[in-house]
Order: sequence, then C-alpha cells, then structure tokens
Amino acid sequence: MIDPFTDVFPSFFGMLNRGPMTLTIFLHSLIVLPMFFIYFSEKKKLQRGEPDD
Amino acid sequence: MEERPTSVWGSTRFWRKSAGWVTGVSALLLIWLSADTVPQISMRSAEDLDAGKPMRVPPPTVINHKITYEFDARRGHEIPIIGEKEAFFGRNDYSEEEANALLTHGKLTVQAKNCMSCHTLLGNGGYYAPDLTKAWLDPAWSDQGPYMAMTGTTSREEAMAKFLMKPSTYPTHARRMPELGITEDEAKAVVAFLKHMASIDTNGFPRNFAKINGGVNAK
Repeated sequence: MIDPFTDVFPSFFGMLNRGPMTLTIFLHSLIVLPMFFIYFSEKKKLQRGEPDD
Repeated sequence: MEERPTSVWGSTRFWRKSAGWVTGVSALLLIWLSADTVPQISMRSAEDLDAGKPMRVPPPTVINHKITYEFDARRGHEIPIIGEKEAFFGRNDYSEEEANALLTHGKLTVQAKNCMSCHTLLGNGGYYAPDLTKAWLDPAWSDQGPYMAMTGTTSREEAMAKFLMKPSTYPTHARRMPELGITEDEAKAVVAFLKHMASIDTNGFPRNFAKINGGVNAK
C-alpha cells in the first residue's frame, strides 16, 4: 500500500507521493476529520439554543 | 437543559465555518507546496554539476556533457544521465556565462518564433507537433537515425541546427514544420536550449517517450 520513497530530493510532499493512499489519508486527516468537529460543535450550540447567524 | 432535536445542515454558521476551513487549509497547502517545489525546480550551479550532486534542473554548462536517457528501476521510469564531456558544436569548454547566454538566446528564439504554437515544451504548448522536452535524446537525431544522413552532418547538434534553419527541405513527418527564418546562430542557441531541457529530470515525463517505436531504449 505504501510504495518506497523514490523522489530526487527528500521532502514532505515526496513522502506523500508514495502510492494512492498516502495523499488521501493525509488530506482526509487534515481537512475532513476537523469538519466532524465543526459539525458536532455547531450541533451542540444549536441544541443549547444559541441563535444561528 | 433539555436537548432539542435539531439539524445542523440548515445552519449558516456551520457552512460558513466548513467553507472557511476547507478553503483556508487548501490555500495554505498550496503555498506550502509551492515553497517546497521552488528550490527543487531552480537551476543548480556549475559547481553542483561538477560535484555530481543530485538535481532536477542542471546548470547551462550541462551542454558540455553527454546526456543519455536510462531506465531507473527504483523510480520506474527513464531519467536523464549526465555523462562525460562531449563536444557541442566542436567545443566542450563553454563557461557558465557563455552557456547561459546561449541558452537565453535559444529561449528567446523559441519564444520569438512561437514554437509552442505547435510544439509542447515540458508539456506546455500546442498538440500539433511533437513534444520537445526530450527532443535532444530522440534517437532519430543520432547516427542510427535518418536526420544526420538527410542533413549531411556528423553530429546530433549540427543535424538539429541544419534542420531548424531549413525544415521544409527535410520532410520527415506528415505534418511539415514551416520555414521560420531561423538564422545559424539562433539555430545553435535553440539546440543548446533543447539539450539543456532534455537534461532536466521531469520524473519520466513525457510518459513512455522511451517506449514508443523508434524511441530511446525501444523494446
């Protein structure tokens, strides 16, 4: 699933370019997972009766 | 306090925060990616080349060297290999200034003659004529190919320069290259520009250049 590192220079984005899953996992961790937090925190606010702006 | 059943999907604040998060993080990622890429695609110095350091974009003095295109099993594609010194228009001692001036002249000629109207360079340009990224490495220009005999020359660079000056004299393709009025000096500079471009490590781009019939290391 994770291919060997073959880039010319070692770099963070080179590490992400190691097969189809590595970039996907990174982007989902960084972008999608925090959106669950945003969802549930907004849900709590609405349930407490805070007005939506 | 009793929790009221509620839906977040209609909340303006939720959508605003989500959009802000996605846009903001993506923008930061793109800035980071650019900062990560720029040093890698910057031209290296002649000292780095002499020291044999790994690089993507060699210095202009690479025109003093032989360039081959060899399969790298670890990376899974061909990469340009900068070899021993090799004469380029009879010389292999171009200084960094001379080589840089030649390459700049070549680049300006390529722009002035609008080569990218038909050709692609590093993938950018028109799709009418062949991609020129690795044109220097095309075996058609080697002593095994037809161009040297057609142009009556004995080296790759002379064959390319002579072709560029009078392309219609050498019909090699169903789509003929037009006469662009390229002078001898301009042709030499363009060939230097193409030789340098072929030495750039493009991660195997254009894909399968080496595998197409008649190409480098064709199977």
